Amino acid sequence: MASRVLIVDDALFMRNLLRDILSGAGYTIVGEAADGLEGQKKYLELKPDLVTMDIVMPERSGIEALQDILARDAEATVVMCSALGQESMVMEALQKGAKDFIVKPFQADQVLEVVRRVIG
Amino acid sequence: MDMSKYKALFLTEAGEHLQKMAAQLVKVEAEPGNRSGIDALFREAHSIKGMAASMGYLRMAELAHHLEDSLDQFRQLGQISAEAIDYLLGGVDLLELLLEDIDADREERSLEDFLNSGQRPPAARPSAENLSQIPVPTLPDSPADSGSGPAAEEKKIEIRLKLDEKVASPAARLLVILHRLATLGKLLHSEPSQDQILRGGVVRHLNIVIETQRPEKEIQSCLKQYSEIASLEVAAPVARSNVQDATSGDTTVRVGTDLLDRFISLTGELITNRYMLQSAAGEKDWGAMKEGLGRLARLVKDLHHQVLQVRMMPIATVTGRLPRLVRDLARKSDKEVRLELEGTGLELDRAILEALADPLIHLVRNAIDHGIDRQGVVTVRAWRQRDQVMLQVADDGKGMDPAQLRQTAVKKGLISPAQAEAMRDYDALQLVCLPGFSTATQVTDTSGRGVGMDVVKAAVEKLGGVLHIDAALGRGTRFTLKLPLSVAIIKVLLIQVEGKQVALPITRVLQTIEVARNQIQTSGKQRVFSHHEELLPLISLRKILNLAIPKPAEFVSVVVTEVLGRKIGLVVDSFAGQAEVFVQKVASPVDRLRGLGGGTILGDGRIVFILDIQGLLERRR
Repeated sequence: MASRVLIVDDALFMRNLLRDILSGAGYTIVGEAADGLEGQKKYLELKPDLVTMDIVMPERSGIEALQDILARDAEATVVMCSALGQESMVMEALQKGAKDFIVKPFQADQVLEVVRRVIG
Repeated sequence: MDMSKYKALFLTEAGEHLQKMAAQLVKVEAEPGNRSGIDALFREAHSIKGMAASMGYLRMAELAHHLEDSLDQFRQLGQISAEAIDYLLGGVDLLELLLEDIDADREERSLEDFLNSGQRPPAARPSAENLSQIPVPTLPDSPADSGSGPAAEEKKIEIRLKLDEKVASPAARLLVILHRLATLGKLLHSEPSQDQILRGGVVRHLNIVIETQRPEKEIQSCLKQYSEIASLEVAAPVARSNVQDATSGDTTVRVGTDLLDRFISLTGELITNRYMLQSAAGEKDWGAMKEGLGRLARLVKDLHHQVLQVRMMPIATVTGRLPRLVRDLARKSDKEVRLELEGTGLELDRAILEALADPLIHLVRNAIDHGIDRQGVVTVRAWRQRDQVMLQVADDGKGMDPAQLRQTAVKKGLISPAQAEAMRDYDALQLVCLPGFSTATQVTDTSGRGVGMDVVKAAVEKLGGVLHIDAALGRGTRFTLKLPLSVAIIKVLLIQVEGKQVALPITRVLQTIEVARNQIQTSGKQRVFSHHEELLPLISLRKILNLAIPKPAEFVSVVVTEVLGRKIGLVVDSFAGQAEVFVQKVASPVDRLRGLGGGTILGDGRIVFILDIQGLLERRR
């Protein structure tokens, strides 16, 4: 069965891009969220296999949402999406339990490599 | 478990550790409070102990353990005394002898003399008790036992990796990898540490020791999922055996797994290419055929490049012994000499490096014996110049006096007084390379070993290289070796002579020029021409090869080359371009012909011989 993915990003452009890359590779996008708060709510609702989580977002940041999700489900697989220059935030997220990260601008093969690595 | 297959690797690696230890000891001697240096020494001794114990070489393990113990005490003290350095160097020497014993399949020699030598620093007296602590796994009694150990044994695995230059957020990437490895076993050591990584910045290297039950293959394939990793080494320490090695004559090369992977992927592409060409040929589709051939050319070039990589080793593998050598020579001759090494990370073909080891030692000896007076600096530096590597041994000592060299050469009957007079200073310096020439008035313990500069020069030229000497009185002497990167594949100048092509290694060619007939003069019987305000003798290749000499044309094609330190102009019929060729040895008995440096097959199937001009001219004499 295809793995189920939740995309959390405040930019529609980024969500669409990720959706295209991932669904093109056979993953099912079960939901999208435009901020951290919505992201953590949808996670509980949908229980996806993977969350791609932007870092800088309104309402709750990606790191806050990550912590909330992991507090409720320690097994959650969350991959951070970062831009260049956000290394320290990425490392903070990794220390808090994120499994991996992808760097914008997204390149399909890199995104897919990371996703395959974390959910097999 | 059959350990014999690990023996060659053990010999190589243990030898490298010993070299590093000796170099490090010399370094620590200069800065006795160098804690990181002492730590490094301790780690080297520790590695040697572990490897030797695993292989079942008990005396070597015992000695390494003893040195490790001493070093541990110095580590706690934070410094090493000068006597202790001597003692430890003695220990390293003995370890090297033990390694020779092992290599020669002899029984390891006794440690008694060394351990009872009385010079041992009081801090490091080995007791029977701590010797018994060497962690040696018990040896299976019979071969049947060898496979029956516990299936999931904790073992240490060392991982070294480097991220690709282009990876964004390298520190974060290393952190991901570190976290991932932590799920596979217990991280014992990480360099940089996690804290250092968390500080961010450009870190691309990661060295980790992990204790795990998982086979190294699994760890390797896990890390293979990270395309960000540009190079990867995963190595488990070897287990032990006392099985004799039947293959000790083989030489081994350690090859990075990333390189092997590239071979495999290239092979895959070649197979695809073959099918493409087959189908194009079947359908007589010349367009596809041409495309396929173009692709084939690229693949072969790539393969060639990668294969050469396997043969490349850093120059440091031969300069590793120099710090110790310089220290000992300086002590013996009561001089203060500092050795500086630059650019030794550059890589050269291993065959070249092997042939260079002795000449390099000789040049450094020379610099200390004849160059440096009381104190000075010997610099060994390497750099890349286009597709050649330059290796230079320089000292800031007395330099050489061309007038004195001329005199000596005349006195020894190597050149005539007239020749001496006509000789330029630069050429006079090259006289030291003539067989039988030595300016040392007394044979010293260090230089007087029968290896003269002539041997050094011959070794360099045999490799297709060139040796240059320059010196300034009172300011020092420089020996510069110009070397090809590889011996197997070289660039040649193709020369036309009587309808046939022959080749000259491009390293031997200083210049190619067309000389107008009216520029050629005669000096006695010798035809000469002026080249950069210098009169060079013209020698005809036809004449050397005993071919008919045609009437001279309006312009003659001349290769300016150097033979025995002297420039000459070699007259050829015409130039036919340059080519990169794979040099093959010519078979016996043709190989006995002097002046023949090998052969090669050109793309069109023609066989071309590579000329060794020096050999040709010597034959003529």
